[in-house]
Amino acid sequence: MPRNVAIVGTGQTKYTTARNEETYEELIHQAARIALEDAELTLKDIDAVVISQAPEALFGIDHPERWVVGAAGAIGKPVMRVHTGGATGGSAAQAGFFHVASGLFDTVLVVGAEKQGDTPDAQLVLNRIMEPRYELPFGLNAISMTSFQAVRHMHKYGTTQEQLALVAVRSRRNALNNPYAHIRANHTVADVMKSRMLCWPLKLLDCPPRSSGSCAIVMASEERAKGMGKPVAWVRGVGATSTTYYMGDKLSGLPFNEHGDWDELALAAQHAYKQAGITKPGDEIHVAEIYAPFTICEVAAKEALGFCEKGQACPLEEKGWWDIDGHLPTNPSGGALASNPIAVTGLARVAEAALQVMGKAGQRQVDGAGTAVATAIGGTLQFHTVMVVSNRL
Amino acid sequence: MTRRVAIVGIAQTRLETEKPDQILDEVIFEAASKALADAGIGREEVDSITIAAADQIDGRPISSMLEACPAGAYLKDEIKTTEEGSYAAILASLRIMSGVFDSALVVSWSKCSEVPVTRVSNYGAEPFFHRPFGLNYITTTGFMVNAYRAKYGLPEMAAAKVVVKNRGNALNNPLACYQTPVSTEEVLSSRIVAWPVRAMDMAPLCDGACALVLASEERARGMVQPPVWIQGMGWATETYYLGERDLSRLTSLEVAARRAYAMAGVTNPLRELDVAEIHDIADYHELMAYEALGLCPWGQAARLMEEGVTEMGGRLPVNPSGGALSGSPFFATGLVRLAEAALQVRGDAGRRQVKGAKRALAHGSYGFCGQGNSVFILGE
Amino acid sequence: MAEELVFIPGRWDITYNYAAGKVSSKFFAELRDNKRLMGIKCSRCGRVMMPPRGFCERCFAPAGEWVEVGPEGTIQAFTITVEKFEGNPDPPFAVAYVQLDGADTAMLNYVRGLDFSDLNRAAESLRVGTRVRVVYKEQRAGEVTDFEYELV
Ligand SMILES: [Zn+2]
Repeated sequence: MPRNVAIVGTGQTKYTTARNEETYEELIHQAARIALEDAELTLKDIDAVVISQAPEALFGIDHPERWVVGAAGAIGKPVMRVHTGGATGGSAAQAGFFHVASGLFDTVLVVGAEKQGDTPDAQLVLNRIMEPRYELPFGLNAISMTSFQAVRHMHKYGTTQEQLALVAVRSRRNALNNPYAHIRANHTVADVMKSRMLCWPLKLLDCPPRSSGSCAIVMASEERAKGMGKPVAWVRGVGATSTTYYMGDKLSGLPFNEHGDWDELALAAQHAYKQAGITKPGDEIHVAEIYAPFTICEVAAKEALGFCEKGQACPLEEKGWWDIDGHLPTNPSGGALASNPIAVTGLARVAEAALQVMGKAGQRQVDGAGTAVATAIGGTLQFHTVMVVSNRL
Repeated sequence: MTRRVAIVGIAQTRLETEKPDQILDEVIFEAASKALADAGIGREEVDSITIAAADQIDGRPISSMLEACPAGAYLKDEIKTTEEGSYAAILASLRIMSGVFDSALVVSWSKCSEVPVTRVSNYGAEPFFHRPFGLNYITTTGFMVNAYRAKYGLPEMAAAKVVVKNRGNALNNPLACYQTPVSTEEVLSSRIVAWPVRAMDMAPLCDGACALVLASEERARGMVQPPVWIQGMGWATETYYLGERDLSRLTSLEVAARRAYAMAGVTNPLRELDVAEIHDIADYHELMAYEALGLCPWGQAARLMEEGVTEMGGRLPVNPSGGALSGSPFFATGLVRLAEAALQVRGDAGRRQVKGAKRALAHGSYGFCGQGNSVFILGE
Repeated sequence: MAEELVFIPGRWDITYNYAAGKVSSKFFAELRDNKRLMGIKCSRCGRVMMPPRGFCERCFAPAGEWVEVGPEGTIQAFTITVEKFEGNPDPPFAVAYVQLDGADTAMLNYVRGLDFSDLNRAAESLRVGTRVRVVYKEQRAGEVTDFEYELV
């Protein structure tokens, strides 16, 4: 059995297009300091540091984790950066978990920052992620590769653009309750539908903003966490699954071969649920923070996480099932549709899930949130991470 | 007590100046396949994958998108670190020690022939106060060597002897990129690239990949290879700001070694270790590592070298494989050191075997002037 | 007095020479010289991989024999990019993953000859299941853009 691990502090800074008043290094430092204050710890208490940093080409400093060692309070300490594309924040939280669960460390800081405001068009970087021999020349980027998913889901389940729009509307409405969120708005379905088309069928408001900002969490062993005498979020299960880069390899409609479904996420969730003892995720999980930068991603994720049958996420959306006062609130923070600081979007999902079970989510608090799940995705929608957190062991 | 972790599969590709007949994915697949074969298991029998890769060296902003599956990750729990190769083994070990996983495939690689590594390295200098000054991993070595030599009056000959030793050792390593001996005269007459660093002081870059299979104690039992135990593991990083560092010593290596020694119960490394594989980014790194690893007092590395202690047949042979000075697959070089150390403990190092080696040290390093360092202690 | 914020311009300029390797080199030569699209079979599971690769990452086995695929196929996914992105071709343009006849996986390329004046109608013409054929360019450089798809 793994050693029990808890999240004992979180720190986020305001997500916005460009954080021009701080360097990347200073953003890292801000989040680290806020998380330490929240955990009521000092730097001396931190045994090791994990840096959550996705493609550095988004702000143009190779291996920025080496620059920020001091900002993260890690001089002379074990430091390790994790980078799994969009899934980075989810992977970094898991790496932090493994640091403590290994028994080698008692207290670990996981911190990252995004500064994509420093490049005029992040999609250029997200084009260069593609396979250079066969796929680079076709103008693919994060938006178009997700359009393929939407096309497949629409083809398989009859999902409509209007249904996808509802996800955007709910997410940004929820963000009104989140002071860190980038886009906080009362949009209507009509607003989404008439926003300009980027890559059919995804329109501007189906897509995330380009956000900069930073996030950190502090993780601690059971002994340390229990000694703190305050609510903590226990990590009850972790899971991750990677699949092929090649989207063209998973367009057959068969299990694990369908870009429109996320069977890979389902597999990661099974591992996490098993550790957490969850058998009926739709009932036993009280709130979910899903890394869904595009509307379609949240739909596919909820179906993969076992919150509903395949093809049912959208019909349930129409009934308010996922609203903050619904049966299973998803992304009360507004999620990635409201703020997408890529390097820490996944870490922010973990932080938000932790805040929910600690009962510290402020205006976005879901009543009675005892167990929460946080996910992240990366690559050609090919890397999935799942973490289950709970207010009890 | 934490769970014990063993190395049960070891593989490297041949290191070569270029591999035009293989795409990067295929080089990685070759190493991963060979490590599984060495462990006598199939991909389906491994429950986690940990890789270490550098995006700008691989030529794409999220290199694991294409390289995770060649490393065995299809429908597996896979994670990537961007610290150098040996850190993949660290993270994989943590994952096994946690009890969540029982085995891991660990892979790292570089195909330096396809990319201007020094230019990429310059982009690692932040743009405000460092990048405009032509800093890269070679030019910053100049700072380090100047500081070290100024402090101890080290003769250039001492470093040249490291190159001669390692290149001589590589004659026994069929996987090494350069399997030809060199003389001190050749080293000392090679061109100066960043004063006082000469071309032959630096490890020549090459293409290659390395993979290991790790297993928990229970899983290691009954596997075909005798387990090589990870007895100790330490890693640490110094500040990025070179102006704030004592460049005459590898401080974070000293910290990393202290941790690894404490975990492994090593108190006198020179006496208790049988062989070491040190990441010799430059010959001077190897000398400075002797000191940081506690093999000799500060400033005494040249004497240790002079006395032949680290030669094959000496009390503690260092880099019997030839080290990075005989070919460095940049990001994977630390993992190659770990693989070589594991082969020594297993007694499978062929002509480069140190007789009776029971305990080995492996060292990985990255960043300007050895900013970050890892140390492994392996044993039977 | 408002404090001044300084911006330092930067540009990454890294040249790469991606070795295409034996397998892809043959694919590109066949495409350029013989106007043929060649897939490759996994030596273990037998799936025909398009685009061809040196090994099957699922079976962890080397690729085996070459198989000619096409010249027609079925759209499995598509999108029409309408927005201008840095480094991209000028919009609008359509790309599709097409499962060429005889292949088990789908390969990406542009779909030419579409009318984008009504986006939803253009999208309807590309819906999953639509048949397309391969069209080779007159001047071929041995690159993936030496061919395109067009509606049958
Ligand atoms: Zn196969």
